[in-house]
Amino acid sequence: MIKATHIVRSFGEGDLAVTVLKGISLFIDSGEFVAIIGPSGAGKSTLMYQLSLLDEPSSGEVELDGVKTSGLSQAEKTSFRLQELGYVFQDYALLPDLTAVENIALPMLMQGMRKQDALVKAQKALLRIDMGEKANSLPSQLSGGQQQRVSIARAIAHEPHIVFADEPTANLDSENGQRVMESFLALNKEGQTIVMVTHEAEYAKHAKRIIAMRDGLIVSDEKRA
Amino acid sequence: MKRFRTIAQEYLLSIRVGWFLARRQIMRSSKGTTALIIFIMALTFLNLVVVSGLLVGLISGAAQQFQESYAGEVIVTSEQGRTYIENSPALLGFIASHPRVHTFSARYMKGVQVLGTLSDLPQKDKKINQIGIRMVGISPSAEDSVTHFSHLVMKGQPLSDGDEGYALIGANMIRKYSSFGDVDIPGLELLSDVDVGSRVRMSMSDDAGGTIQKEFIIKGIVKSKVDEISTRMFITDKEFRRLLPVNQTQIQEIAIRTDKSYAPTLVAEMKTFMGNNIARIQTSDDAIPSFLRDVETTMGVLGNALSSIALVVASITIFIVIFINAVTRRKFIGIMKGIGISPVAIQFSYVIQAFFYGIIGSGIGLVVTFGFLKPYFAANPINFPFSDGILVATFSGAMVRIGILLVVTLIAGYVPAKLIVRKNTLDSILGR
Repeated sequence: MIKATHIVRSFGEGDLAVTVLKGISLFIDSGEFVAIIGPSGAGKSTLMYQLSLLDEPSSGEVELDGVKTSGLSQAEKTSFRLQELGYVFQDYALLPDLTAVENIALPMLMQGMRKQDALVKAQKALLRIDMGEKANSLPSQLSGGQQQRVSIARAIAHEPHIVFADEPTANLDSENGQRVMESFLALNKEGQTIVMVTHEAEYAKHAKRIIAMRDGLIVSDEKRA
Repeated sequence: MKRFRTIAQEYLLSIRVGWFLARRQIMRSSKGTTALIIFIMALTFLNLVVVSGLLVGLISGAAQQFQESYAGEVIVTSEQGRTYIENSPALLGFIASHPRVHTFSARYMKGVQVLGTLSDLPQKDKKINQIGIRMVGISPSAEDSVTHFSHLVMKGQPLSDGDEGYALIGANMIRKYSSFGDVDIPGLELLSDVDVGSRVRMSMSDDAGGTIQKEFIIKGIVKSKVDEISTRMFITDKEFRRLLPVNQTQIQEIAIRTDKSYAPTLVAEMKTFMGNNIARIQTSDDAIPSFLRDVETTMGVLGNALSSIALVVASITIFIVIFINAVTRRKFIGIMKGIGISPVAIQFSYVIQAFFYGIIGSGIGLVVTFGFLKPYFAANPINFPFSDGILVATFSGAMVRIGILLVVTLIAGYVPAKLIVRKNTLDSILGR
């Protein structure tokens, strides 16, 4: 569950201050698949950074699974992100020195899981996305689409409550983009909460709820059947 | 207590994850870069151990030669102002019967004049080819067992126990062989035109005020970097006793070989045995001239100063390597923090890398030092004017230096990692 209350995010000070988010409030329930859309500069990525604890709002409150995050220290936020959240970045963001299976296992190791158990679980996550044979490949040996699927596997393998995806299809061709969306749909079907930022309408239509933004404000919030 | 346990567990987990990351970063980084960093660390270790070891070794080489070629582990000499060791026979008996004494050599001594040119009378305007020298009576076999004296003969033959009319002379007293033979130093007298086979005339005063003269054939030239060898003339002890009305009560030096660790005990035992009889009984370490000790200390300080510079260079090298590594991976550090990897684990990964470079470099340096350099310098000492320089390096000393190097390396690895890791997570991810 995500509850944002009057989120404001400004950059700079005084006359040079730019307010990117202008008091956004929203509620996302567990199990929802939400797409945040809007033109470039609308503030959709900035909103996602606030909701996913990668950034701190200038004012307002973000509540995740009943925890008010404004009172958390940086270390507590890091721990919260590890335990409760998963991330899929636009440029895949896999660690270049780790193989696919090691990239997926890393958050689980940090959770305290034994290395062997983490690697087995990571291998299973790869099999789920039909990438079992690429387990020991380095990111540089994978295509963009394959890297993004590994990134998704990393985001979900440690069983987070919420997965955030920032423009996950931006660097992919339509075929790979479609496969990524299918992965998200399958996850959501299993009850995974997903918040995805995208500017591509054809991918947004897969979500069950579409929040449209413009100039730092939500201009529409539409649930789909 | 519970909080402490939780913190300890978190740190252990961070070390485990840091190790996981560091191992893969090292394994998958450029082999050439890794080899270069390790090479630099090995050079730093060598700089720490070998440079100071060689500086100290120049002096230690002199001390070692003083012991091996002249003094043994314990040296007994007559006190200043005395002409011989009091109660020598009893002392020789004590030494000969002592179970921990391996061997010993007693020496007689007397200041004599040696004339080098016997055939011609000296011309008016020319100095007489004559020098003052200390003549030493030795038992060649006993001396050889203590100092390997025969090995010091650079030209000609060593003395034998039954030799009569033959002498060995120190190279530093002959112009042809002396290091100072090519310069005129006021007061320094050297024999000219004397070599192996030359006939020289020795003259000395006896106790009755008369003069004793005898001609000797130079059987060999002895050369050592220990002045006590290279500035003396040696004949057999039997001949010495025949020339002078001396007997075993008038011995002036006794060099004794025993275990080095036992030398101080033997000195104490001999002092107790000698009681009120006056003699100077010292370990070879104590008998070494004090200026050598001072030079050794100075060399040690100089070596430590150079080592400190090497440490600073090593720490800066590691700092730069880790800093550049961390800066170029700033985005990935941000991503790791973003997905919940603790900053401590990320810092540990860099500290472990620095530790790896330090330990492998030191290990290679250790192998090179003790497997190659130390044996090499022992077999091929550095030819220094007053000593044969060796490499002084003890394993325990090297371990201490490795410890210092690793501590410096760890700090130099931690600081840049901390600087980069503490940057804002989102800024790192977005490259701002």
